[in-house]
Formats: sequence, C-alpha cells, structure tokens
Amino acid sequence: MVFQCSKCKRKWQQPIGICPYCLIELDRIKSEKMETVVSSKVSISSLPHMKVPYFANIIKDEQGNLFAYKSTEKIDKIELKSNPESVAIFRIKYDIIEGLENIFKLLEVSLNENLKVLVIPTLISTNYTYFKENTSPELLESVLNFLLEKKISVKVGAQSFNEIPIEGLAQKSGLLDVCLKKGITPFDLSKAVFVKKEDLEISEEVLSADLVINLSMLKAEKVASTDNIFYVLKKENYSGLKYLQSEKEISEKLLKTLSNVITIGEADTVQRSNSTTTYLGLIFGGRNFLNVDAIFNKVIMARKLPEIIKDINVDSIAISGRSIMEVERDIEM
Amino acid sequence: MHIKGVGMTNFDYSQKYWWQLAYEAAIEALKDAKMNISDIDAVVLTSMSSAAGGEHQTHKTSLLSGLFKVNIPIIETPAVCGGGGVAFWTALHLQGFNNILVLAGERLVDNKSEVVTDEILSAAERVIEQPEGMLFPVQNALIWQMYSKKYGGSMEDLSLIAFKNHQNAALNPHAYFYNRPIDLEKVKNSPEVASPLRLMDCSLSVNGGAAVILSKDETDIEVIGSGFATDYIVTFEREDMTHFNATKMAAKMAYEQAGISPKDINVAEIHDAFTSVELISYEDLGFAEEGKGGELIRSGKINLKGEMPINPSGGLKAKGHPISATGLAQIYEIVKQLRGECGERQVPNAKLGLTHNIGGAGGSVTVHIFKKK
Repeated sequence: MVFQCSKCKRKWQQPIGICPYCLIELDRIKSEKMETVVSSKVSISSLPHMKVPYFANIIKDEQGNLFAYKSTEKIDKIELKSNPESVAIFRIKYDIIEGLENIFKLLEVSLNENLKVLVIPTLISTNYTYFKENTSPELLESVLNFLLEKKISVKVGAQSFNEIPIEGLAQKSGLLDVCLKKGITPFDLSKAVFVKKEDLEISEEVLSADLVINLSMLKAEKVASTDNIFYVLKKENYSGLKYLQSEKEISEKLLKTLSNVITIGEADTVQRSNSTTTYLGLIFGGRNFLNVDAIFNKVIMARKLPEIIKDINVDSIAISGRSIMEVERDIEM
Repeated sequence: MHIKGVGMTNFDYSQKYWWQLAYEAAIEALKDAKMNISDIDAVVLTSMSSAAGGEHQTHKTSLLSGLFKVNIPIIETPAVCGGGGVAFWTALHLQGFNNILVLAGERLVDNKSEVVTDEILSAAERVIEQPEGMLFPVQNALIWQMYSKKYGGSMEDLSLIAFKNHQNAALNPHAYFYNRPIDLEKVKNSPEVASPLRLMDCSLSVNGGAAVILSKDETDIEVIGSGFATDYIVTFEREDMTHFNATKMAAKMAYEQAGISPKDINVAEIHDAFTSVELISYEDLGFAEEGKGGELIRSGKINLKGEMPINPSGGLKAKGHPISATGLAQIYEIVKQLRGECGERQVPNAKLGLTHNIGGAGGSVTVHIFKKK
C-alpha cells in the first residue's frame, strides 16, 4: 500500500494523510501483483529475526512501487493464498485498513450490503488505551469504517463480567466516542435476550447476526480471543459453567455452536507476559478463536501456554498470509 | 572557521562510561589547542550512549555542564552514525561563538550482540523495513545487489577495500586492528552475513570518543567546505537505490563552497560502514565515474602509497565504528594528516583533505573539506 498525492504524484509509505506540498488528501494506492527485484539470504540472527537463514527481498508492484518483504525461501513473486479455515496473519505497516482488507480476503469472508454484523470489542479494563488491555479505538474505528463503507448494518455490543459497568469501561477506553462518531449507539449485551443452546445461554443478538466480529486484543501467554467470546454468554451461565466444567469446555462448545464468528486479533502493539507493551506490527484473523490464540502465542514464542490451548497442535493449523517464521519474534526480549 | 584542536580515544571495547570517553577526547583536544574549558563558549555533543541501558542518560547536555563546570550553551545533535559530522556541521553554522567544542562519546557495545544490534537498529526504519528483515547489513547487501545489477559490481573489489583498510588500520595506534594486519584470503573466505556481503565487508562496532575544537582564530587548518543533506529513511522509497543521493548533494555543496573539484583532494576519510558503501561513495563523491568505483580500488590510486589515499586511518572497517564518534574521528585523522603527524601512515604533502560521514543507510550525510595553510 502506498499513499499518493493526485496533484504532484509524490508517494509515501506512511499514511501521512495530507500532501505537504499540495495540502490535499492523499489517495490509497493498492498493489495487485508483486515480483521480487533483488533478494539477500540472511545468515545472522538478530532480536527481531532470531531464526536464520531467511530471505530479505525487495519486491516491486505493477506500478513500480518498491517494498521490503521477508520470506523463508527464495521467491520470485508474492502469492497470498486464501483459506477460510486458516488463521490469517498479516503485517500492519501503520495502515490497519490494509490489514483488515487482507484478513477478510484471506479468510474468504464475503461482505455485502444486506449483512447484519455485530462487533464485540474487548472491553475489560478502565486503563487507558496505551495499556493495551481493551480493543484500541484505532482498530474499532478502522473496522467500523471498513464495514460502513460497504453500507453494512453494524451493531456494537459488549458486557461486563465484573463490578464496573460497561458504560464506564466504554467511556474510559475511548470506544464509546468512536461508536458515537460513527453514528452507532453501542448496547449492553447483558440487557439483551439470551437463548438457551444446550447448556449455553447465548445472546440472541449474537445468534441473529449474520456475522459476529470478535475483536480481541491479543496478549502474551493469554487466550484473549477466547476470553472475549465468553462475553456472548449470560454472565451467570458463564460463571456456573466455569465452576462446573472448565473454560476449555465452554470454549469448545461455543466453537461448535457459533458458526458466524470471525475473530480479528489485534497485535500491532501487544502486552508481554509482565503486562508491559511492545511493538509487534501484526493482525490475526480466523474462524476458530482458539486457533487464533494458539498461533499468536506461537508467533511471539510464548514460554508458558495457557491450559486452554496447551494441547492444540499448532502445526496442524492452516496458516494464510504471512508464515509463522516470517513474523515470529520473542517479545519478551 | 579553523580547527584549533583535536582529540580521540582508542577505539576498542573499553567499558568506560560514554561521557568518560567524550571527556578524555575533549581534554586531549583542549591540550592540543593549548586552551582550557573557560576558553570554550559553546559545546555541541552527539551520542547514542548505551545498549545495556541502566545508566542511559537523555539529558546529556546537563551532565556535561556538571563535568566541565560550565553554564554555556550545550546542544545535542543526534544523527546516529552520522552524528559526528552533523554535530560538526551544526557547530560551523552556530553564530556568535569564538571557540566551539564538538564532541562525541559512545559505549554502545556493552551487551550481547543481539541487544547492541537492536539498539543500533533504532537508526533505521522500524515499521516498514526492519520487520521484513532489513537490518543494516541486509539493507546494504540489497543496495549492493541493485548496484551490481546495474553496473556489474564485483565482490573481488569489495575484498580489496576491506584489505586496504585493514592494512592502514594496522599502522594506526588508535585503531582496533592496530598491529594486526589481515590477509586478503581471510577477507574473501569470511562467512556470509547477508548475501553477498560477508563478515569482513562489515565495519566493526566499538566504543570510543572524539573531539574537535572549532575556532574563529586563524590556525594551520581551515574548514573550507561544508555540505549536509538528508534522504528518506525508507531506502527503497528513494529515486535511485544504487547510489546515496545525500552524499552527492552534500559533496556538491562542499566542493562549491571550497571552490575545488574532487581531483584536488589529497586524502579522504570515507564512511565505509560496509565495503560496498565505500565503493559507491567513490562515485558519489566524484572520485570515480558512475559504475567505475571498482576500477578505482583496482588501480591502487587510493592505497596508502597511492595518489589519493582513502581511509588511511583504517576507516570504520578496521579502525572501528563507535557510531556518533566516527564523524569526529574522521576529522581527527584528516587534521593529523594535514599537519603531518601520522607517522607510518602519513600521506606525503597532503594539503586538502575530505571527510564523509553517513547516518543510517544514507539518511544524513555530511561532507567537509579541510585545507592546510
């Protein structure tokens, strides 16, 4: 993705918004085909790229724009193959919209005007956005822009499982402002009707939506995507099942029951295991939230895996977009 | 402006604090200028400081105020590997000061290589390039490949550059490789780091300090040309990846100001962070035609005994590269060469010398020209 001024034709890789020469808004220029121009086999290990050898390539699109691209083997061109059952990984280079476009494409999610979409952001803490506890206002705004541009009917819902009212969480996180700016009044999932599906009590809003977008804020050694999907359940139902069964069983049942969920895992800046934050520059996506959590923890080389995903064989999970080795980084270092 | 005094520490793995290295160099420069700190009316500093990080200091200028017990203006000009040159350029352009101390100190090599490398990586693009594997050696390997594709560059030529600089460093008591010459085969057979660049094509990260005193007073060394240009941090966004446009621009400014042409230069210190950068810079600085840098190194003209020696100090390659201190150490070498104080590595009858300092992969470039009166 490059940004170009329609008047002076200058181009930028960073989304600066306004051309400093012509003072007009820049256009987003998408690339269709990418071919390798030159390639270097790298044999020295570094903190961001511990596994060697790898290839660092300069690739060129059909408009002559050049980009950097890491690969695990020598490549002539870039081919991103979609797979609806995969965990999709894409590198965000400042531009979240590009990441979202590619994640939906890789997962073969068709978005049309008649679709009813429910977005469930992560909303668990009153901490400021830079703590990376909740979905970031930037991601929520990008998701809403992305959907509203396609004239899709969008609802945003969340609920609180602790003593802090959801309204308070929404306000402090900056997510309420984003929704209101986009003309959406978010609603409290706990106040909606819940429908019994075997021993699960799931929000009717979730069941009636054509597509539920589970927006997780991924965190090291945690199952943030899975944790966020629990909020589709009635609070008492979740607490009871957690006591009688386990979160693992609940998550597996939810996975079987909900076929309309897509998880978008936010990982531009993420929490390490000690809650400090670090830049990662990625976005994940997938229909299986457990797999998204497992692959994220694999990518960040997590030392301690949460019980829920401990037994998942990550090698059996299909990956689309960027490969694990291309993006793998030990974020504790 | 004139150079009144110069100083530098040995370039090695000393674990003195960055400010101790800067201070030592400053004291040598003051002694060389036959001055004391009360004669200085402004200081320009450049330093990245520490990868270990514990004592990393952002308010370095105030720390210097305390060390020198002065209350004069002290400013810092961070420009990573090009910091020394940019600090010197800044001092040249400061108005209303008679004597300006320009100094740098660096103790960046104080942790495991991966951590030091990561610290140095903050000198390049972090979001668009580095996550895609473009670290400094990789970036320069790709630039060299683009160059080779266009002009047919040869790794043999790069080997000769590394060999020449190591031969020179062996004669420089301040250099890391002092008294330790290496043979050409060792260069050629060194392990590949980022194809096609090998370990011996890369400069050596070390610690050290350097200082220069600029003065309005007339001395034996005059600064007759100064150029500074910047370029985009995303390497492949530049119009031409095969050359460093900022070098061409800075050189043009410096030559025009000095009223001379490249062929008038007797000795030069070039920013050889990688051997490929030195070769490309021959062309950018006007010492060779475009695509003919290889011919220049093969001709022997730039060897120590040649017509116009390049990097008689050993360069970043073999003297060592303490990031910000490099640009000032280049000036130290040229001043000493023009004064005729370089002993075994002395370039005979040098009257005009040039320094060329790069920050990042061509992101901030300064070129300075010095004349012996």
